[in-house]
Amino acid sequence: MKDLTERESSFQTRPGTGTAVTQSQQEGGSIMKKRIAVLTAGVLACSMLGAVPAMAEGVELNVTTTFAGEDGNAQNFKDAVAEWEEATGNTVNDASATSDEEFKNRVLMDFQTGADPDVLFFFNGADASPFIEEGKVVSIDTIRETYPEYASNMNDDLITPSIVDGVKYAVPVNGFWEAMFCNTEVLEAAGVEVPGADYTWEAFLEDCQKISDAGYTPIAAALGNIPHYWWEFAIFNHNSPETHLTIPESVDDERGQAWVAGLEDIKALYEAGYFPENTLSATDDETFAMFTEGKAAFLIDGSWKVGGIAGAYQSDPEDPSTLDTEKLDKITVTYVPGMGDRKATDLIGGLSMGYYISTAAWEDEAKREAAVSFVEYMTSDEQVAKFAQHTASALKAAPEVDESAFNSLQVKAMEMMSGVTSLTGAVQDIFNGECRVSTFDGMPQIVTGEVAATDAVTEGLEVYHAQ
Amino acid sequence: MIYKNKKMLLVFLVPAFAFMAVFLHYPFLRNIVNSFQEISGLAGTSKGWQDPWYANYQTMLQDKNVWISLKNTLILMGMTLVFQVGIALVLAILVDQIRVGAKLFRVVYFFPIVISATALGLMFNLIFLYDKGMVNQLLERLGYAGKLIDWKSGSFALFTMFLPVIWQYVGFYFVILVTGLNNIPVDLYEVAEVDGASRWQRIRCITLPLLHNVLCTCAVLAVTGALKVFDLPWVMFPKGMPTNTTWLTGTYMYYHSSETRNTDYGCALAVLIVLLGIVAARVVNALFREKDY
Repeated sequence: MKDLTERESSFQTRPGTGTAVTQSQQEGGSIMKKRIAVLTAGVLACSMLGAVPAMAEGVELNVTTTFAGEDGNAQNFKDAVAEWEEATGNTVNDASATSDEEFKNRVLMDFQTGADPDVLFFFNGADASPFIEEGKVVSIDTIRETYPEYASNMNDDLITPSIVDGVKYAVPVNGFWEAMFCNTEVLEAAGVEVPGADYTWEAFLEDCQKISDAGYTPIAAALGNIPHYWWEFAIFNHNSPETHLTIPESVDDERGQAWVAGLEDIKALYEAGYFPENTLSATDDETFAMFTEGKAAFLIDGSWKVGGIAGAYQSDPEDPSTLDTEKLDKITVTYVPGMGDRKATDLIGGLSMGYYISTAAWEDEAKREAAVSFVEYMTSDEQVAKFAQHTASALKAAPEVDESAFNSLQVKAMEMMSGVTSLTGAVQDIFNGECRVSTFDGMPQIVTGEVAATDAVTEGLEVYHAQ
Repeated sequence: MIYKNKKMLLVFLVPAFAFMAVFLHYPFLRNIVNSFQEISGLAGTSKGWQDPWYANYQTMLQDKNVWISLKNTLILMGMTLVFQVGIALVLAILVDQIRVGAKLFRVVYFFPIVISATALGLMFNLIFLYDKGMVNQLLERLGYAGKLIDWKSGSFALFTMFLPVIWQYVGFYFVILVTGLNNIPVDLYEVAEVDGASRWQRIRCITLPLLHNVLCTCAVLAVTGALKVFDLPWVMFPKGMPTNTTWLTGTYMYYHSSETRNTDYGCALAVLIVLLGIVAARVVNALFREKDY
């Protein structure tokens, strides 16, 4: 093909030389034009039929992850993809998006309609069950039969098996935790100390009242949009790390009553006026802005928000050097107020996501090697250390972390994590789909008293057990 | 009658018909069947028939949100008829009266149509933002000292949702009506003027009667168009926020099809929308019957 290209280019440069053209040259030119036409048509036809492997520079992988938007690792992912592309000559079609219900549905729909991604970074809980049941992804053990070194740097005991068949499919990178971010500027103005490891629910209520009296909003949360974090911790507060992941059989059993009590706690906070005035009509972005702008004191969110908060203080979201460190220093992260058998230091977290290789990519000779190489690169010790930062990882030998490269909030997050007594998975990862509607989307009705918490839990459990 | 050989007509008609059959008629019939089955997730496979087979329709009758969405959609239909077509008519008549700058006004009024509804939704979100949104800032500047107004709360939500929807499509009807006005012979106005008719009399006795058929077309389009409104309300008020007060038939159908993975129920709601569309179109056609002149 190289010869052809050279010949074509030499043909094309001839008219531009300006030399005199004789009759024989004209005849020769005519023949040449025909040849060019035939060759050009041939090249076009071949390229259309995909019959020119020598022209292909590498494999094109379709990759979908949640490293996008406000995710703290969005830039790390972009950098890692660029490095891998440069090293291998392959290319990545990145379809990453912010992790939300829409993203989860899109991924499931892609699998159902045959538009399977080649590599997927996705949840390893109930969300993945539909495509695992249909055999759309390959297990780690199957991959290891051909590539024995695949994910060999991971501690297999820490890789979460699928709830469908107990088989391990997803290679984890970074774990997650959910904790409480505090705007210390607001706390200072209200005369409230930054909560510590012994923070109780009663102390939290007292602090909220002080903050409210000082003219600030105690809790930044959009209950009509993203009640997820409060839902999880409020229920966790009436359970323990051992019992939290048990879905109640009915609203009347002990676990069911714990769920009702948790929702009643959120209702009490709403009635006390501790959420923003527009909590039922605001979006999560609006209440997050209240927090970063120093109008609200507490924000319960995930480890990914560390990057989101830093991003909010950058004048250029793409350029970390534009970070307003003075403002970021006012933000800290601490434990979520505890109650009963749950200590404040018992947090929600774990390794809930990982890299999957789809069966479609595995069975495609051209893509298999590239897909394995991509996942191996993304889950290498070096990359995992970059991505995990202040969260957990499943590495056998985690490399030393260079804290000097971290911003103040990342350092505070690492300090907070060092005091954590347990990390429990999110029960909402098991309790998902239509069963969530009555207590998630129905949260505004619960807190306003339009629907009783008992009825909402009953409805959700009925749907769950019928699924 | 133009073509002696009718086969040529088939050459043009069959592909279009096949396209409609594949991408409209078959999906619609399939949607009806799906509404009686159990399907979880878009493109999910059926787990069998509902028990009883009409369960989704039974649920629909007891679902408060369905009634809220129907009520809101009917209100929107009425509002589009009165305000969209009404404002467009007033603007069209006013622009028709001026000699200079008419083209500019046409472009200005038509412009919102070409902006994506999603972008408009985001823009109006900022305008009605609770904390430092444009409207609340304006109120502050005008000396309003009370608490900030939550324009997306229960009492204001419908107004805040309908306003941009109506505003966006005024230009569409404006252009149709301006075209209709251009078709009215100028002689009629000149004769009326010579006879001493005032400007209002000319509008009442010439413009409005001769614009009747165009207004009927606008009315049908406005009412049936209101049934399809989805993107802008969904961007501003996802999931019927707040407290399930802002559902429209389109947003509620999407919510079940895509968000809750209750796809079969979404299919049943889609059937309801089609039925509502047929009934609405018939009623509007009966009310605004076109006249032969």
